[in-house]
Amino acid sequence: MLWYKSWLDTRWRFLIGLALLLCSAAATVLTYPQLVKLLPLVPTNIQGPLGQRIRESAELMRSYPSFVWSNWFRQNLSEGATLFAVLLGTAGLLSHSGGALFTLSLPVSRRRLLGVRAAAGLAELFVLVLVPSLLIPLLSPAIGERYGAGAALIHSVCLFTAASVFFSLAFLLSTIYSDVWRPLLIALAFAIVLALVDQLLLRSPAQSLFGVMRGETYFRAGRLPWEGLVASAAVSAALFYGAVVNFARRDF
Amino acid sequence: MAESWVIETAALRKSYDGVEALRGLDLQVPAGSICGFLGRNGAGKTTTMKILLGMVHPTGGQARVLGLAAESPRDSVEIRRRTAFVGEEKDLYGTMTVEEIVRFTAAFFPRWRDDLQQRYLRKFELPLNRKIKALSRGMRTKLSLLLALCRGAELLLLDEPTSGLDPAMAEDVLQALVAQVANEAITVFFSSHQIAEVDQIADRVAIIDRGRAVVAGDLDELRERFCRVRIVFDGDAPRASFRAPGVERVQRDGRVLTILSSRGADAVVEEARALHPLSVDVDRVTLKEIFLESAAAEE
Repeated sequence: MLWYKSWLDTRWRFLIGLALLLCSAAATVLTYPQLVKLLPLVPTNIQGPLGQRIRESAELMRSYPSFVWSNWFRQNLSEGATLFAVLLGTAGLLSHSGGALFTLSLPVSRRRLLGVRAAAGLAELFVLVLVPSLLIPLLSPAIGERYGAGAALIHSVCLFTAASVFFSLAFLLSTIYSDVWRPLLIALAFAIVLALVDQLLLRSPAQSLFGVMRGETYFRAGRLPWEGLVASAAVSAALFYGAVVNFARRDF
Repeated sequence: MAESWVIETAALRKSYDGVEALRGLDLQVPAGSICGFLGRNGAGKTTTMKILLGMVHPTGGQARVLGLAAESPRDSVEIRRRTAFVGEEKDLYGTMTVEEIVRFTAAFFPRWRDDLQQRYLRKFELPLNRKIKALSRGMRTKLSLLLALCRGAELLLLDEPTSGLDPAMAEDVLQALVAQVANEAITVFFSSHQIAEVDQIADRVAIIDRGRAVVAGDLDELRERFCRVRIVFDGDAPRASFRAPGVERVQRDGRVLTILSSRGADAVVEEARALHPLSVDVDRVTLKEIFLESAAAEE
């Protein structure tokens, strides 16, 4: 029944996220033919970093799989998964979901309470990442294109594993602060700072969390970012362990 | 610690950021009793209950419930399996309906009493399909009590169980508690600001003040022990000090000395007669007076 309680606490965030990401995935596929038609209009003579970016984007749009990776996995889903990982990580923990003392009066250990809540949140996050991504191979024939379900699955796993770090961070913060806003804002601020560091300082996608999230090494070289995936899973586990320890010693 | 106590604390301490909520609380509640837990606001009643249920970690001392250590995470789960709790706020899951939370709670308690569930649903007239957030405070109180009474618990820990109820419903709840104790051989430990309620249904009482138990014991025995001795003189009452054991307070007002004793009147009366008064009268005191005097004595 704790699963049911976790579902009630997070269902609106999950359902809204799922609806938004499904729409975004459908829009990504269905707008491709129009974007291809606009490709000849893209200016190619602009110099400097901006021109390089424009040329790279135009180049990625010439092939449908590259376009899907660039628009969906690299951009829309990465941003959406980060946001909803934080939202799901902060939803419904004891301190702000109502009925905290009632929950703590049940014959359930605090470890199990957190475990079920984390498992439910991670399952929702996985569905949020996977289901809209699988819509792309399903919808692609409608515009005369193909996208492999295997590639969608692999990118989803990369995205989920990296996004789980933000989920676990938000989860840990929710065991520290009793209000909703501080965990949410701190976790989002951390994600934004990390994205800026990623943009400005890190050159290798294998070194960055967002690089792992985008599955860049898989897209460019067909190689899974194993080190990054293992490191992300390890960081998530450490953050979750911190949440368990903190939750166990808290007074309510 | 003796096994006969359902609740037993020894030198129990709890500090919040350096502020002491409990300062060495010693408390014993025997099996099968209805024990009223009295104290002023901030005396440490809720903290004590939360420690017993593992919601708050004590800073020192020991607490045992049903023979199990409240501080042990494993024992604490077992304590909560055999104990029902109603918190002061009656804070339940607002998004669930009455029916959903009853089903939800029943799933955690193998000894859940369907017969009591049906009885209290009817008695409390709870609307099954209404969301909890749409219930009045009184309705939430009734629902909280239903969820506690149906657990098949050996111990009921109730923090202000009748708050938010009208007098008629409060009476129903008190009678339900008494009936539950009589029929199921359970123990009830409840805090209340309504001393009349404690007087009405409790057979034991524990009065806590500033984190320490100042009075505890069988209620009839307390009524026997506590008394007021009123000594009238023909002139101004002397500024006498009494050495008799159990003298809690001496009040001098014109020709009258009033002495509150917690160990009977005999020794006080004997000492008073040596002062050659006009008259010496001994009165029984009410629980309210015991409470007020005990709390005042700690000022």
